[in-house]
Amino acid sequence: MNGQISPGPENSKLARLFRSPTVRALLSLLVVVLLGLVFNAEGAFFKWGTHRDMLRQVSVFGILACGMTLVIITSGIDLSVGSVLGLTAVLFSLFSIHLGWWPWLTVVACFAAGAACGAASGALIARFNIQPFIATLAMMVFARGLAKFVSGGQKISTAVMQPDGTYQYVEVPRIFDLLNARILGENLTVVTLIMLVCVAGCYLVLAKLRWGRYFYAVGGNEEAARLSGVPVAAVKVLAYGLSGFFCALAGICQAAQELQGDPEAGMAYELTAIAIVVIGGTSLRGGRGTIWLTLLGTMTIGYLEKILSINAVGEASRLMLTGMIIIVAVLFQKRES
Amino acid sequence: MKKLAGLPALAVLSALSVAALGCSSKEKASQQEEGPRWTIGMSQCNLGEPWRVQMNADIRKAAEAHPELRVVFKDAQNDNLRQRSHVEEYVRTGVDLIIISPKEAAPLTQPVADAYGRGIPVIVLDRRVLGDRYTCFIGADNKRIGRAAGRWIAERLGGSGRVVELKGLMTSTPGQDRHSGFVGGIRGSQVEVIFEADMKWLEPNARQEMESALARFEDIDLVYAHNDPGAHGAYLAAKAAGREQEIIFVGIDGLPQEGQIYVKQGLLEASFEYPTGGKEAVETALEILSGQEVPREITLSSRVFTTANVEQGGEWLEQ
Repeated sequence: MNGQISPGPENSKLARLFRSPTVRALLSLLVVVLLGLVFNAEGAFFKWGTHRDMLRQVSVFGILACGMTLVIITSGIDLSVGSVLGLTAVLFSLFSIHLGWWPWLTVVACFAAGAACGAASGALIARFNIQPFIATLAMMVFARGLAKFVSGGQKISTAVMQPDGTYQYVEVPRIFDLLNARILGENLTVVTLIMLVCVAGCYLVLAKLRWGRYFYAVGGNEEAARLSGVPVAAVKVLAYGLSGFFCALAGICQAAQELQGDPEAGMAYELTAIAIVVIGGTSLRGGRGTIWLTLLGTMTIGYLEKILSINAVGEASRLMLTGMIIIVAVLFQKRES
Repeated sequence: MKKLAGLPALAVLSALSVAALGCSSKEKASQQEEGPRWTIGMSQCNLGEPWRVQMNADIRKAAEAHPELRVVFKDAQNDNLRQRSHVEEYVRTGVDLIIISPKEAAPLTQPVADAYGRGIPVIVLDRRVLGDRYTCFIGADNKRIGRAAGRWIAERLGGSGRVVELKGLMTSTPGQDRHSGFVGGIRGSQVEVIFEADMKWLEPNARQEMESALARFEDIDLVYAHNDPGAHGAYLAAKAAGREQEIIFVGIDGLPQEGQIYVKQGLLEASFEYPTGGKEAVETALEILSGQEVPREITLSSRVFTTANVEQGGEWLEQ
């Protein structure tokens, strides 16, 4: 790297390398990490705990972004992820804390609720030809309303109202502690592990399964996919259904970390999830992108938030900086045409 | 075939709406059987915050004790113009009294003044409107509560200590007042704010900011959060770092199912009540409706709930 541009095989190799979306996504991440090295808040950035906490904080967004990636690859969008997260967080707390259901039954019920919300959006899109933006916008509003209805507008916490109007608090169910714990010698949070498993699962679906190739086919050219026998409607229902499933998982993780189900949880999370996918380099036009890019996008957003937070940057500058970094990251991703 | 596609959806939708509307009309019918003498229209600016849900619950509970009252609730979902039309609807349907907890002063001053001008008494709850075209204002004083919290904290720390302040949304007046009151309360002591961040009233944000504070500072004595969820989020962050025993957590709001429980559980050492005024609004409404004079302004006093006094129902703050 002597700054000279020499036309030769080496340079073109470098150019080819730089054209790879993964390298570009890595570059955005590197820029943000460099910012952290410079503004390290009296060395706080060099502590492992900071990185572990960053991964914990961003895990819920990462899980949402997994589902969002699947949907975006089919050239759709899912605006309902934040609301479905809120709904499942409420359901999870209601079933496990207030009704005392068996933990695995609770989890399965929440998965079913999340997947049903997603599949409903998918069915509206595939069967009735409603635009994804509209269908999931409707689901976003509906699921938020359902969350408020189920919870009566109050947070579902360990304070349980008694018939006489007073509150008694109950012990937090064990599954909450389990999900809120750390493993590997306190070095990794369980929610981060769950996010990594989600990423691996999406990789398997997208790269190894026939249905994964269908996602790309539908997103790349729906008509061509239909003509070559891809069950387009089923693929769409599956993509949104999976997104709903990931929302449920994220909702459970959110509730476990807050020790309560907040009907307002997940407000505007859909925007962060979309930002993560886009920063990673998955095209909103569909048909392109990988889950690894989303993982890199998740880390970029996570580090950005963490660095702004440890430096106690004010809210106004935070918003402006975040906006600028998103643009820089997307510019990195822009292909020369 | 294509034309029929929407039919099942329509059928489901109409069934749902019939069910939903059926519920509410049944409620009304049962209230009418008791023959209420007066109807009160309550306009709430939003039901997204537990504190406001509690305010409605307090009003409902207080009104239940008076069969002569019927209260109709409307939720403006944080929209000034929607709240404006709610007030106008109340005027048109001819309620006997309006209770409003306005979203913002300027856009709602005129509708409130119009209702007042038509001879409908208006009680303004929690947030203010401009001018004097209303019957009575009931509210608590965030600055005073912040100051009380500051004094309590300075005393609890023996005059000196290192404090993290997790602020509510600083573009909102409650956030600004709880901050400036607190600064006034610790003035003259050696209490030092070493880290402050805007957690926008949200627990996940508070947890994240507290993690950053913990990463930066080895020695933190106390966390002052502008609401109880914020203090709870900070507690969870400290617990994850194994440092919850060495830090004192203080919050504001003191709701029965939130802050008071946290204090009972020993997570927070103190929570300062921000009263909803729901009960007082119903009492004042009854006085107005039965023709009594009421003061123009009622400032609610609030309590502090600490580990020592929470079982006895807290302790009233000095006026």
